[in-house]
Parts: sequence; structure tokens; C-alpha cells
Amino acid sequence: MLDLEKIKEEALTAIAGADSKVLEELRIEYLSKKGKIQGLMAQMRELSPEEKPLFGQKVNDLKNAVSAALEEKKESLEATLLNAKMESEKVDISLDAYTPEIGSLHPLTLVQQELEDIFIGMGYNVAEGPEVELDVYNFTKANTPEGHPARDMQDTFYVDANTLLRSQTTAIQMRELEKNADKLPIKVICPGKVYRRDDDDATHSHQFNQCEGLVVGENITVADLKGTLELMIREMFSKDAKIRFRPSYFPFTEPSFEVDMTCHICGGKGCPTCKGTGWIEILGSGMVHPNVLDMANIDSKKYTGFAFGVGLERVAMLKYGITDIRDLYANDVRFLNGFKR
Amino acid sequence: MIVSLKWLSSFIDLSGLSTEDIIDQMVRCGFEVESVEKIGEGTNLIVGEVLECKDHPNSDHLHVTKTDIGSEVLNIVCGAPNCRKGLKVIVAQVGAKLPGGEIKAGVIRGEASNGMLCSLKELGVPENLLSDDSPSQNGIEELDDRFNVGDTDILNKLGYEDTILDVSIYANRPDCLSMFAMAKEIGAILNRKVDLPEFDGKANIGEKSSFRLSSESKNCPHFLAKVVRNVTIKESPDWMKEHLRANGIKCINNLVDISNYVMLETGQPLHFYDLRTNPNLNITVKDDYEGKYTALDGIEYSIEKGDLMITSDDMPIGIAGIMGGDNTKILDDTTGLIIEAALFDHAQIRRTSNRLGLQTEAAARYAKGLEPLSQNKAVDRAVDLLIQCADANGFEETVEYGKPDYEPYEISESLSHLNTLIGKEYTMDEAVDVMHRLGFDCRVEGDMFITSIPSYRAMDLKIPEDIDEEIVRLTDFDDLTSTLPLMPQTVGKLSTAQKNRRVIRNLLTSHGFNETSNYTLVSDDYIKDALLPAGEAVAMVSPLSDARKYCRTSLMNSLLEALGYNLDHGNSNVKLFEISKVYAKDIEEERLGVLMEGNLMESKVKHLSIVSDFYVIKGIITEILSKMGYEMGRVAVKENSLDTVHFHPYQSAVLMMDNKLLGIFGKIHPVYAKSKKLDDVYYAEVMLDVVNNAKASKVKAPVISKYPSVSRDVSVLVRDDVKASDLINAIKKAGGNLVKSSKVFDVYQGEHIEEGYKSVSLNIVYENKEKTLKTEDVNPVHEAVVNAIMNKFDGRQR
Repeated sequence: MLDLEKIKEEALTAIAGADSKVLEELRIEYLSKKGKIQGLMAQMRELSPEEKPLFGQKVNDLKNAVSAALEEKKESLEATLLNAKMESEKVDISLDAYTPEIGSLHPLTLVQQELEDIFIGMGYNVAEGPEVELDVYNFTKANTPEGHPARDMQDTFYVDANTLLRSQTTAIQMRELEKNADKLPIKVICPGKVYRRDDDDATHSHQFNQCEGLVVGENITVADLKGTLELMIREMFSKDAKIRFRPSYFPFTEPSFEVDMTCHICGGKGCPTCKGTGWIEILGSGMVHPNVLDMANIDSKKYTGFAFGVGLERVAMLKYGITDIRDLYANDVRFLNGFKR
Repeated sequence: MIVSLKWLSSFIDLSGLSTEDIIDQMVRCGFEVESVEKIGEGTNLIVGEVLECKDHPNSDHLHVTKTDIGSEVLNIVCGAPNCRKGLKVIVAQVGAKLPGGEIKAGVIRGEASNGMLCSLKELGVPENLLSDDSPSQNGIEELDDRFNVGDTDILNKLGYEDTILDVSIYANRPDCLSMFAMAKEIGAILNRKVDLPEFDGKANIGEKSSFRLSSESKNCPHFLAKVVRNVTIKESPDWMKEHLRANGIKCINNLVDISNYVMLETGQPLHFYDLRTNPNLNITVKDDYEGKYTALDGIEYSIEKGDLMITSDDMPIGIAGIMGGDNTKILDDTTGLIIEAALFDHAQIRRTSNRLGLQTEAAARYAKGLEPLSQNKAVDRAVDLLIQCADANGFEETVEYGKPDYEPYEISESLSHLNTLIGKEYTMDEAVDVMHRLGFDCRVEGDMFITSIPSYRAMDLKIPEDIDEEIVRLTDFDDLTSTLPLMPQTVGKLSTAQKNRRVIRNLLTSHGFNETSNYTLVSDDYIKDALLPAGEAVAMVSPLSDARKYCRTSLMNSLLEALGYNLDHGNSNVKLFEISKVYAKDIEEERLGVLMEGNLMESKVKHLSIVSDFYVIKGIITEILSKMGYEMGRVAVKENSLDTVHFHPYQSAVLMMDNKLLGIFGKIHPVYAKSKKLDDVYYAEVMLDVVNNAKASKVKAPVISKYPSVSRDVSVLVRDDVKASDLINAIKKAGGNLVKSSKVFDVYQGEHIEEGYKSVSLNIVYENKEKTLKTEDVNPVHEAVVNAIMNKFDGRQR
């Protein structure tokens, strides 16, 4: 009986100190058919029938204990080995990565898509129209007849007496009004390129983009305009932004408002971006002039509407801190790559 | 519009208001202030007398003075050439804050200097406000006897202390191009009383006149003339000169000054003719004069038909509404004059003024429109001032051609309409109060308030909404509650074309392409060089420059220009695209341009790169099309016979869909590339309308076979003119339904390959959807496939 305890102690000590090669030798030494434990079974014959089961049980226990110890040791050795291997595979996490080639959307597209998504979410459609446009849609139907002083405010590219490069996306609005006069309400935004005879410099571009909005229905109010614009500005710039209306003049709206937002840089405290005022002029807006509705065969006694227009370049410049409008048209990839998201 | 606060304060009590307060309220009420200029600024100024003036020992132009300021005598170094003993001067003492900075005690080339003797320019008086003979033009100001040593009220006494606002006036408020109207407006804004001079009816004097006045042009509907026999020419009073100077107008003499002054006050341009130049006392306005005419600036102008001219005895005497004539102007010895106050068509004056390049204060006011009664008001005021400042007498009665176009009228608005439009709860008192602040008569009848519109607001107040704007404008509007429109639900969504743009943008940007934005307007060269132009180019009537003359008819030139810019700036592996409309006569097309140069993809870390080539641009374009729902099969790739000027004839192709040209792509022709100083460039232009107008394929879930497929590779030698598509068609034909796919994965020509042949390696996948394929099932079919290739293309297996 002493043998059993001794063997167990010897075996467990040997296993504890073994490396993987020795461990395999120990497995053979103890557990193989010709191993030490199997050898113990030979002693069975010498035992009385009463002793046999007990002894058998003890040998079995020994076998289990040794094989468990072997298994445990094997796992621990493997784990050590794996750890060492992994350690040898250590990477330098600061090293340059493989970067997938990702391009960029143009900043004007980013602004336009953002506006589209905001207004689609409010049930607006996105209307488009021709850039080579009829004078009628660009001016006349926008309550700006021939000889109107407001035509002076914009120096327009003419193609012939009746055709021009649209100087305002208001032209799209006028087409939408006409098209949908019998399908009210109207809820559209009208993004697109416009053109004016300005010499290009840091703040002027003969080509730029506007996005106008138009809602016509029953009982549309200035308060609705304010709520809509507030929502838009908060989505685009900052959720705490406030807006204020200043009286203005556009031929196609009455009353008309210039809209200021609290400066997104300083939050309204005053900084160089807002020239210390805390406010930034961001868009023009107003209630659709009754003449405009009447010209589109919409009953101005029954329906009212609001319209607004924002310059995409202006938004992009404010939002992304662009200081020269020409950067938006130079297409330098070093600049464009700044807009990968 | 220039507004002098000093002048303004003669009409409105501005006490208790800072300049900032005034500007802030004006801005809130719709008058943006473009600039604020303080005229005549400086602290610590005192009148001094130069007791001693010696040349500076170490300078050829500086003087060393001893200047008495009453309390002490200061040592001051001065560089002005007119500095001399006995002069009464403006001294900026140490610590004085001037527009240019603070005055400090110092030593100038070894001589102590404790202050500065000043020019008015150094005190912030702009040069144009100084008279030509002012000592301050080239030196220090020389004060006259009005000033005593030790006085500190200097700039105010000189009439040079003012704040000048440049106010921008919207096109609907031309009335505000007059100081009186501006004062009324600012009075309404600030809610303060406005006191304007009384001169109504002053011109209703004079003997019977024989003056004959007529107009032969519809563009001059109203004209007033008045003969004044006797006037005394002299200097204008100081107040008048001050106000004219503040407006940047040069003072000449009392007569010329009065005509300018009345224009500033009333907004109505006036002209005075020397009575001696019109002996037969007649004026006719004509618009058919052609020829040269010298205006009073001494410059000769070419007058064309349509331009309005003032004539007398058939001879021109002035360019109507823009500038008087040299031959009839007021001279130093003028003793009598004719007053002209007329209405000319604003658009015509604008045209003439623009064409002649002659922008005058008068032309600017005509071009923007005048209030209907301003001719009468201006003549009243002119007579008033001529009597006051030019001892005028010997008046003849005012002669009138035409009538002012104004009948008094009212606008009725209801409180409920106002509140429904605005979304606010105004009370009747609030509404009526605004009308009264504006100086309008207004009465209430039930829910209605009825307002009489004065002549000077007839240009912009026409409908009830105009009245609503006045109320909104002049009341606090920041408390307006925000709401959203209450209306039937609408569904907002992108159109197919709009969605397709997003698909293209997403795909190209995820492959490293940068989206560009280019100018629509291009040069003649670009139009001549256009790739598959949309049609005959649309030209601008008056382009800004030759480079921006036409609407582009294709996108390629723009993208090549952007590429050139990038390469010039050291950028490499440039991959650009643009989605834009192009235009031609009666044609609008939407196109996509894709351009690549260098590597599509490059990873130094991974030691790999994908070089751009024909197959890369082909893959990009076909992938875009299939992503939009137009996969190969619907789209045919054909040999390019359309354009081999821009494209390499053997490395380009056209895309067709539904028998329409869908696009063109490939390598830019080496000769063309070289002419643009470019190397290997790959380009595609796609006509997006073709896809936007075609129905996209439906998405259909693929059926995955339960049974494994068998993949076989085969390499064959075939004639080098055999196309991959020929081989694949042959394989399909020979292999039948069992062929699931076949792809060429390698093509080799060169060493060990016979001239005129190429080695093509193909991978063919066989599949049966009903059972597992066994070798014995595949072998005969594969053999048949290989044989078919051999036979058909004179091939040999390798």
C-alpha cells in the first residue's frame, strides 16, 4: 500500500517540474500499458478477494490523479508556449497602418446633402431646374419685371433677350409654383448652381450654389418660417443656435427678412468671425409675395407661403472655416482630402 | 447713403444714445450700416502758439519749436514745412490718443519732443473733406483768430467732429436716398420726434413767365423750371459746407452748393443753368440726339439715340439726370439762373450712366427711382435756400411740363390678416402706433386699420402685406414663437437621378476618388476641344472674360484642368470625378466625368499597388452602372470609333444601353495627353440621363446550388486577335448549362510565344443544380469546351 502513495508523490513531483518532452516520457512511464501503474495491477493477484476491490479502486484513483496532473501540466505548458509565441509577435501599434484608399465628397456636396436630408425628413422634395433659364422664371414671375431696380442688384449673364444663366434658384421655385398650382401644398427645397457677373476674389465667385426652400399652403405664417429655419440652423451648426430676423427686401417676398444665427464659433459672445457682434448673417427669407402666387395662378387670398434661400458656399465656408471661396473651385486634392467624412 | 450724425442731430434729439445704440436699432429695422467713420478724433488736444521755430541741427527738414499752450511752453519737434513762428496750432499733448496711436514724450534725433503739432489728417479728417487750400493738405493745420491759446474745443468748432454712417438702402426704399426721409425713418425707428425745415410752397412766387418747356420723350414725364433773375454768388454758409463735405461733396460756391444740398436733403437731383446761356428761355427734353457733348466735368461724351438730353433752341445743354453741360454751367460771374427739377425714367438713366461710365450722385438717385412729389418739394426748397443764402430775387413763376404721377391713397389691412400672416398676436394699438410713428394718418374701423400713404412711401407701400412688414419692422420681433407648418402630411424623397448621384458618389469616394466642383463657363478652346459635345455651345452676350464665354458642353476639359493643377502642385495618384449638367442650345444633359492618373491604390506598408489602366477604369465604370442597377449584359461595351482624338484608339471603348450612347472610356490619346503636358491618364464620361431614364434591374436573391461546383483551369495558345468575349461565348456554347462561369485570368504574349499568338489562361466553373458533379460528368464537357476553342480559334493547348 505504501507503494501507491509513494508512486503518486513521485509522479506528481516529476510532473510539476517537467517540460513538454519530459511530460511525454512521464506519461509513458506511468500510464502506458507497460507503465508503473499498470504494473501495480500485477500485485492484485496476491491479494485476497476482499482486498482486491479496494486495491483496484485505489489504483484507479492513482491513475486518474496522475492523468489529471499530466493533462493540467500539458495545458499550462501549452499556454506558456502560446504566450511566448504571442509575445514574440508583438506589433508596434504606433506604426503606420495600411489605409484603405478613401476619397472625399466635395464640401458643397456635403452641405447640400445635409440640407436635403434635413428637409426630406420634414417631408420636403428636392426640386431642380435648368441653369440656362428663361428670364421669365428668373425675374418676371419672381415679381421683378423688366426695369425693376432689383434687377440691378444682380448683374446677370444673358444668353439672349429672353434667356440667361439663372442668377438665383428662385427660378426653380417659380417653376415649382407653376407646376404644382393645382396640387397644393408645396414643400420643396431647390438646390443648384447660380451665376452672376462678379469678378472672382476671396469672397466673390461668378458661379456659386444656393438652396432655396418653399412652402405654400393654408395659414402658413412667419412663425412657421422661423421654426423651420431654427430647426435647419440647429441641425447644420449647433443645437443651441438661436436665430433672429431682421427686416430686408426681396422682390418676391413680403415681408422679407435677413436671418442671423448666433455665431457658431463663440456661441454669441463675440469673436473675429462674427466681427464681435455674436451674430452671423446666414440667409434671406420671407413670406411669398401675393403677386408671385397670383402670377402662378394660386389664390393669394386663400394660400400663403414662405420662402428662404441660403448660399451653400457661405455655409461651407462658415462650417469648415474656409477663408477663400476660390478654394472650393481649385480642386486641389490636398484641400479636398480634408472632407473625407 | 451717407448719414452724418451731426446733420441728423439737427432734426432729431439724439441725446442719451450712443452711436452703437443708433446703429443697432437701425440694423434691427432693416438698415444695414456698411461702415462707421469717426471724423476728427483725438483726446488731449489744445490750441498752442509757436513762440520759436528753429531748424533741427541733425535734420534737413525737422523743426524744433517752443510752443505755448497757456499753462506751459512745450519743446516739440515738428516736420511740417509750414511750421513757423507765430502760428496758432493744434497741439496733441503727451498722452493724447489719436487715430494713429498715442502721443508719447520722446527724443527725436537728440532733441526732446513733448507732444505733436497736428495736421487735420492726423486727427482723422479724410483728405476729401479738406478744402484744396487747407494747410492740412501738406502740413499742420493753421488756426485762425477764433481760437485762443489754451482752447480745447477745436474739432467741433472747426466743424470736423462727426460720425459718418454709410447706410445701405434696399431697392424698395429709394426715398431714403434723401436726408429728410432718412431722418423721418430714423425718427420712427428711435421713436423720437423729427423736426424738418418748413418750406412747403416757397416756390409759389414770381411774375408771369414766358419760359417754354416741353418733352419729346416719354422717359421725361414731369419737368419743373423756374427763372431766377438775380442771385449773388458767394461762399456758402459754414453749416451747408460742413454737411456737403460730410457727404464727400466738394464745395464750389453758394449756387452750386445749394443745388447739391437740396439733392441731399430731398433726394431730387436739381440742376441750375446760367440764365445768360438760355436767352430765348426754352427747354426741350429729347431722346434722339446723337453726337459728342462736353459735360461740366470737361470730358466729351458720345451721346446715342435713347439717351435723354436737355436742349434749348435745339442745342444740347445737359445730359439729363446725369450731369449738366459745360456750355451752360454756373460761372463765377453768374447773376441769374434757371432751376431744373425733372423726373426721368430710372431704367433709361441707368443705361446711359452705365454706358458712359458716368456715375454721379444724381444718376444714382434717378436710377433707383424718385418719390413722385420730389420735383415740387425740391423747387420749394431751392427757392427757400436761394433767398436765404444767395440774396435771390426777380423770380418768375414755376413752369411745369406734365404732372406728378401721384394720387393720395389708402391701404386697408385687418388685424386678423396681420396676425394670421405673422403668427403673432398684435393689438390694434400696436399696429396703429407704428403707423403714427411713421407719420402716417391711420384710422380704425372695426378689425380694419386704414392708412393714408404719403407720396414718399408710394414706391414701396402698395398692398396690406407691405403694411404688415412696417409693423414687424418697427416692433420687437425677437419674441416671435417658433412653430412648424400645420398642413397635410407630405412624403419627401429623392428622385431616381438624385439617388443615382449618391450611389456614384459613394462608390467613387470609397475607391479613393475626390469629388470636384468646376466652373460651367469655359473658353472657346474648351468648346472646340469638347469630348462628345452636347451640341452647339451656349454663348454669353457679355462674358466676364474670354476664359468664361460659353457653357461647357462636356466635362473632360474641366477635369483635365483640375488634374493639371494638382500635378503642378506636386500631388500624385490623382483621381477625380464630377457630376454636373452640361448645356448646349436647347439641350441639358447630366454627365459624370471620372479621371485617374498613377495608381488606383498604393500601399508602401504592404509593398503593393494597383496601377491605373484600361481595365481599372472599365471596372470602375461598370461597377458604378451595376450598382445603380444596370449590369453588364444590359450595357454593351463596343469598340470606340466615336472619338480617337481624345482617346487611345486601341485602349478605349464606348458603352451602349438600349441603343443609346451611355459613355466612353479608356486611355487618353498619347498625342493629346502630351499636348496637355500629361502622361498616362484614364478617363470616362458617362451620360447619366440615359441611365436615369431607363428602368433599373430589380434586385433578385441568387439561388445557391446545394451541390459543389467543379473548377478547372485551362491555358491555350490562340491567335492574338481573339477577344476574351469570343472565348467565353465559345465556352458557353460548347459547355451548355453545365458552365456556371468562365473568366480569363491571364493573358501573355512575348518570349516563348509564337508571333501572332497569345497565351490565355481561363478558369471555368461547372455546376449542376440537381446533383454533385463527378469527374466523369465534367471530363467530357470540359474536353468538348477545350476542343471548341482549339477548332474555332486555331488554338493549341499549352
